[in-house]
Order: sequence, then structure tokens, then C-alpha cells
Amino acid sequence: MGKLIVVACGAGINTSTVAEVMIRERLDEEGMDDVEVKRILIADIDKYVDRMDLVVCMMKIYREFDVPQLKGMPFLIGTKAEKKEVLDGIIELVKD
Amino acid sequence: MVVLQNAVGWFLGLGSTVIVPIVLILLGLIFRVGLAKSIRGGVTVGVGLAGLFLIVDLIVAALQPAVAALATRMGLELALVDVNWADAGIAWGWPGVAALVFSIIIVNLIMVYFRLTKTLWTDVWSYWHGSALAGFVWALTGSVTWGVVGGVAYLILGSLMSDMTAKKYQEFNEMPGIGVPCGTTVQASIFAMPVVWVLDRIPGLKDWDASPEGIRKRFGLIGEPVILGLVLGMLIGIAAGYNVQGILGLGMQVATMLLVLPRMVSIISEGLVPITMSIVEFMRERFQDREIFVAVDCAVLLGHPAVMAASVIMFPLAILMAAVLPGVQMLPIASLAVIPFWAGAIVPYTRGNVIKTVIVLALYSIPFMYLATLTADVHTAAFANMGQFTAEIDAGLQLASWDMGGDPIGFVILNIFKALGFSL
Repeated sequence: MGKLIVVACGAGINTSTVAEVMIRERLDEEGMDDVEVKRILIADIDKYVDRMDLVVCMMKIYREFDVPQLKGMPFLIGTKAEKKEVLDGIIELVKD
Repeated sequence: MVVLQNAVGWFLGLGSTVIVPIVLILLGLIFRVGLAKSIRGGVTVGVGLAGLFLIVDLIVAALQPAVAALATRMGLELALVDVNWADAGIAWGWPGVAALVFSIIIVNLIMVYFRLTKTLWTDVWSYWHGSALAGFVWALTGSVTWGVVGGVAYLILGSLMSDMTAKKYQEFNEMPGIGVPCGTTVQASIFAMPVVWVLDRIPGLKDWDASPEGIRKRFGLIGEPVILGLVLGMLIGIAAGYNVQGILGLGMQVATMLLVLPRMVSIISEGLVPITMSIVEFMRERFQDREIFVAVDCAVLLGHPAVMAASVIMFPLAILMAAVLPGVQMLPIASLAVIPFWAGAIVPYTRGNVIKTVIVLALYSIPFMYLATLTADVHTAAFANMGQFTAEIDAGLQLASWDMGGDPIGFVILNIFKALGFSL
């Protein structure tokens, strides 16, 4: 089974959508089509803790996970370079 | 001239779900998003809009008779149907949306350049608050230009309020450099400042708190849209005197609405991503070396556990208050969804205290209950002018919402236009 990136935010309407779209685009470019990106509400994260490989958080969260956790804020407000940096980090983490 | 009028009439006759994609594709090309991405984005927004209106149809068909029956049985005056974020449909679908987007970008860049505000309005999605208000002003005055003026005025006030709250948000949520200029959310912070100051000085209340985790465990299910919707719908069905079949059916319909309405809004948001991104980059690259607050969506404020804890207590309280307060004509159902956003804006000021957050929420919601009632006429006219729900509106349907219908600053702006002599 492919890797799972979880994008978590508080409402699941706008902020996580922005990150999801950009991560998908980058994965497409890399040809990594077995990586799944799932946009979720932070309240629902317990359903995913067992099978996720990476969490991108769009806000401050008050929990620790066993998997790497990245801040998604640059997706919202970053310049091109800042976004590329986070995306590079994500690709590095899900690459085998 | 006649030809031009006919052409404009024909274009407006296409309806917002066709006009909006066309406008957004043009916007995308102007912001150099590329043709393929512009088309995909524009069409996606149109689909989200169409989906949003489908859900509003469902809400109206299911809830209007139920709320009317409930009102008659209980002797309440609940004449309005709560559509809440369907107002995003007005915002992205009214004829002046493109002009508004350009105007606010230009006005904001000028204000940041002359240091009149520190908030750089990069959060294109949240323009919708100003754009929905602009749609109301358009419905009131019949003028797209006045609509844009009203919407820009609203968004300017939003950036000034963001300046006042940004430091607090940054510190509490550990997000350096951000600001949140969103509509009724940032106003909740401004409201919370004096109220929390008073609450902190009331002996006994000062240190009273409840554990957010405990509340989440006990009421956690209520925080889930489908369960909240099911329970709410069934309770309304019971209060309206429905039979078991009707009660269960209404429960499912309200559950559907509470889950699907935000999903539709998120489709609109998805379609806007490419344009949003290129505007963010454009604006950020212009102010690299100066202290600015970069505007982000209010969803980033929802992280603290006290937010959902206070919200699940506020959900039933809000409904009770709307039923009991005299003269309030809208029972909040879809509008409950805005409560967590308000809580997110209040929690930095109550320092995560659940009890105080609930008290501020309860007080803050009161003006919304009345203002949503008072703006229902303009609100309904805006939908009618866009060609939505015309048959139902002709039959007497009236639509309302807390966010934007109940917005205090929006209400003031609308009334300035009324004072200038405009009326429906």
C-alpha cells in the first residue's frame, strides 16, 4: 500500500484544501501517484494515526504523533521559495 | 445601446453558475495562472456554487415547513430560513465580484505601502465576507459600484481590526507573522477584549474553568456535524409535531445539510486555489523587508482544545436563546457552524478558559440573532437578484444567516446606505 499524507486543519474548508491541492500537484510532477493525500478535520485524526506516514498541520496542534509532523503555514502565506522548501521536505519524507 | 443592453441582459441571464466560471477564468488569465489551470479552477468554482445552491434547496424544502410548524405550535415567530454559508454563493456569484477582488487588492497595497495597516490581505478566500456584504449593498442600491464601495469599506475595517488582534493570535497560536482579518471572527476578538477584562474581575468566576478534554469526551459526538444534525433535526421534528417517519427523515436531512454544506464551500475554495496562490506570491514578493501581518484564514485559530469544548456547549445554548429571545425570527441551524470560528477568536483572550469562552460566545451571539432578522429582506433580495430561488421567494420565502446576515459592521454599512436614501 502507498504512503498516506494527512493534511489536518480545524474546519476542513479552505486552509487544508490549499495545501492538499499543492501537495497533489507536486506529487503528480514527481510521478509519485501511489502516495495518498487526505484532507481531514483535526478532530478526526484518531481514525488515521495508525496508517498515516506524515502529518501536515495547518495550525498549532496540541498533540505529538509517532510520524513526522510539518507546519503547513507556508502553503497559505509563503513565497514561491518558501513553498518549494516545504514541498521538498514532504517529497523527501515520503520517498522510499 | 439596445444591443449592448441586450448583450448584458443575455449574459446576466446565464445565471451565476455560468457567469462565475467565465469571470474566474478571465481573472486567472490576468493573474497569469495559465489557461488550463484557469479553466479547471473556474469550472470547479461554478460546480461548488451549483452544489451549494442544491443544498440550499434541500434546506429550504426540509426546514421551512418544519420550522413553520414548530413556530405555530410553540407560538414563536420563526419566519426565516437559516442558510448560513450559502452566502458564499452571493459572494462569489454577484456581478461585481471581479471588480471587488481587484479593488481590495489595490486598496490594500496602497494602505500597506503608506503604513496605514500592517495586514497584507493575502487571504483571497476571506474576501468573501466583504463580497457577500457587497452583494447585499448591490441588492439594496441596485448599483454594482456602490456594492464594491461597501465591500471594500468592510474589508478595510477588517484589516484594521486584524492589526489590533494579530499579535495576540501570533503569541497564543505560535504562528509568527500572521493576521486574521476575517469578517465576524475578528470582530469576536474585539468584542472579547472588554468582556474578558470584566470577567477576569468577577470574584468566583475568575478562576472557574472546565477541562476541555473532559467536555470533549462527554459531548464529543455533538461536535460531529452528522450527529449534531441528526439530533437537531429530530428535535425540531418532535417540536413541530411530526410523526416518527417525519422525525427520522428530518434528522437525516439536517445531518446531510450540516455535513455537505461546508463540503460544497470547500469545492469553491478548491477552485480558487490557483488564483489565490498567485495573488499571495504577487503580494508577498512586494513587501519582503517590512513587518507585516500576512492574512490567513480564520481556520488556523481552531487548534486549541477549548475551541470545540466551548462550541459544543454553545450549540444547544444558541438554539435555546434564539427560541426564547423575543423578536428573533431565525432558529440557528446551519449558522451553528460559525460558532467554532468565533470561539477560536475568543480563546486567545480567555487564555483557553472554557467557561469564559462560552460566556463571551453567548453575549456575542445576541446581536447576530437580531441583526440576521433585520437584514433578512436585503439578504433575500440579493439571492432573488441573482436569479436564485425566485419561485420560493415569490411565495414568501425569506433567507437569513448569522455570518454574514448578522454581521454588526455589515449592518452598519447597510444602514449608512439606507440613510443615504437607498431602499429596496
